[in-house]
Amino acid sequence: MNISKVRKFDTLTINVEGKITAQTAAEFENFINDNLDGVSNLILDLKDTDYVSSAGLRVILKAKKVMNTQGTMKIVNVQEDVMRTFVMVSFPDIITIEQLPI
Amino acid sequence: MKKFLKKISGSLSFNVIGGFVGYTIIFGLIIVTISNIIFINTFKTEYAETTYHMADAASALVDGAYIPYFLKGENKLEYSRIQRELDVCCEKMFVSIIYVIAVDQSDYGSYISVFNSVNNEVDNTNYVPWELGYKRETSNDEYRQKYKALYEQGSTYETVYRIRSNGNERPHNSHITTVVPIKNHTGEVVALLCMQRPLDELLDKMFPYLVTVSISAFMFANLFNVLISLFIKYRIIKPVSEVSEEALRFAEEGTKGNLRNDISNYKVFSDLSTSINSMETDLTQYIEDITSITAEKERIGAELDIAKRIQFDMLPSIFPPFPDRKEFDIYASMTPAKEVGGDFYNFFFIDDDHLALVIADVSGKGIPAALFMMVTSIIISDIAKTGKTPSEVLTKANERICSHNKADMFVTVWLGVLEISTGRLISSNAGHEDPAVCRKNGDFELLKSKHGLMLGTLEGIKYADFEFRLNKGDKLFLYTDGVHEATNEQDEMFRIDRMLDTLNSYKEKSPTEILKGMHNSINTFVGDAPQFDDLTMLCIEMKDDFVSESLTLDATLDNLDKADSFVGGVLDKLGCDSGIKKQIALAFEECFVNIVSYAYGDNCGKAEITVEGDRSKVTLILKDSGSPFDPLGNPDPDLSLSVQDREIGGLGVYLTKKSMDSVAYEYTDNQNVLIMEKRLTGGVGSE
Repeated sequence: MNISKVRKFDTLTINVEGKITAQTAAEFENFINDNLDGVSNLILDLKDTDYVSSAGLRVILKAKKVMNTQGTMKIVNVQEDVMRTFVMVSFPDIITIEQLPI
Repeated sequence: MKKFLKKISGSLSFNVIGGFVGYTIIFGLIIVTISNIIFINTFKTEYAETTYHMADAASALVDGAYIPYFLKGENKLEYSRIQRELDVCCEKMFVSIIYVIAVDQSDYGSYISVFNSVNNEVDNTNYVPWELGYKRETSNDEYRQKYKALYEQGSTYETVYRIRSNGNERPHNSHITTVVPIKNHTGEVVALLCMQRPLDELLDKMFPYLVTVSISAFMFANLFNVLISLFIKYRIIKPVSEVSEEALRFAEEGTKGNLRNDISNYKVFSDLSTSINSMETDLTQYIEDITSITAEKERIGAELDIAKRIQFDMLPSIFPPFPDRKEFDIYASMTPAKEVGGDFYNFFFIDDDHLALVIADVSGKGIPAALFMMVTSIIISDIAKTGKTPSEVLTKANERICSHNKADMFVTVWLGVLEISTGRLISSNAGHEDPAVCRKNGDFELLKSKHGLMLGTLEGIKYADFEFRLNKGDKLFLYTDGVHEATNEQDEMFRIDRMLDTLNSYKEKSPTEILKGMHNSINTFVGDAPQFDDLTMLCIEMKDDFVSESLTLDATLDNLDKADSFVGGVLDKLGCDSGIKKQIALAFEECFVNIVSYAYGDNCGKAEITVEGDRSKVTLILKDSGSPFDPLGNPDPDLSLSVQDREIGGLGVYLTKKSMDSVAYEYTDNQNVLIMEKRLTGGVGSE
């Protein structure tokens, strides 16, 4: 898994490439925690993420809880298989998910 | 009232006795009437004759020759003398009147009185005697005619009756007048002497007489009635009624009664009661016999049902029969015709790698066929389990069967032994239908081979082996003639070609569905016609691409990758598409991580991963020897909660349940075992 970020003022876009598994979820969580200071808009771009397990879901949920106190969060460009997992746990009800044009 | 009349009209007593009473009344009335009439007539005649004799005697006193002279007034002395004598006569003879008259012979319409004597004491009358020469008109035509008869026709005497009813009219009482002729010396009639006698007393005496006679007759007749009625009632009607009542009671109750045999002295009735008695005895005996025969029949019927069940239970009927053997899929059914049948199928393991298949059809129906079927089935399976080839099995079985076949029954058999690991199938045929084989991607076709003679016909028959292969994806269909000889109401048979067509329309389906489809097709074809023969079918499919692989490794997070790759690799072999593969990976990761995190606490332990299945279905089995824990025990997370309230944990198991078709947990042999299954075709995510 490879994580990259783009910071524009108070908007942080995190791009994850690969699989977010139980093994890699910790790394994902640490990355987010390290980069959240002063961020009021968090965007998770998952166009290159082809797999998210429940460990990953936990991390996303934690991030959302934090961002609820700081500002907003949304997930963009979710792949079909990952979207199915999100739908299974009703993520679209609690987190904004968008498909942005590439 | 109508009911009463109806009842009366049916009663023998009433009719018989009533008939007698009626008859004797009529009879009595007739007798009384006839005797009355005869009596009156006889009496009348007798009285008239007596009166005649009296008148005749009186007429002797009158000399007819003198009549003309008396009428002229001459011979007064003689006249007085005769008149006196007539008076004495009248008094002594005790008659009302004696008078002599000369009738006008021209028309007899009038007469002149010559002599006249009256005796008023006789009848309490007050007649005044006529004078000589007193003229008078003839009273009526009767007198005229009688006068004429006396004068002209030489009649000896005439009688005139005057009957007054009730006798209450005086002075005209009932009387009889007898008239005799007075002749002169030449024999010519010159006058008539009339004598009148009263009848009242007579009639008065007559009436009581008649009444007495009638009453006596009536009483005697009734006495007779009573006697004959009693006789009829007690000697005839009573025995008949007794017999009739007993017959009626027996018809209603069906139990033996106790009619006396000496019901009557008369042979007719005693015979009747004897007959009724013996009939009752016989009937009650018959009823007892029939009751016990019927009970026996029911018992036999119940035993027949049990026999049917025993026979049915001999056929393997639990499907799938070998759930742990994934290499093949097998299904069979036997639908018996109305009676207990003689078809059977069987399959059993000879050893771990050899499966025997048998299908057979016994000749005949009913209990004999069923018994023979069971014996044959046991003989064949016993010999087959010793590992002989099918031809040897049938040859030996034939010897056994023929040696004990006094009933001359026989059976067609197809026996095959399948080597599961290679698909090699050796079969032998004893007069049975050729099986149908469907190669992978092909059609069902008959697989012809040499047919031996049916088992049980002749000793010494040698059978031959026929070898072929059942490769993965091939199907074998066995059947009996009940299938292709099923007949509809137009007497058409289902036939082999229709059977093959139906098989081919289901050729992609599982053996269970193929047999169901065949059943439906045959039932539709046969319609309402009765099923004459057993319908027996067996189908076995060699499963395609069955894979089973296992991996055991330490349950650590580091090993997640390795474990995931292993699972993915097997899924690739099964041709699983990526969407489903990801779902399975999701479920697998969650469960594996659970073991990693919780199974061994702070210690380390192993996890055993097994992936197996075929193109249609995959099963994932995870085993660990850690502390017992049922991951499915916790309830699903509440997804309706807001972000703040959502649980962090619990999503993994939820995702597992949602991703797989089924998840099951059990703790066996000190191991936690988690079994997950997912369909690979036609399921979610295969779009």
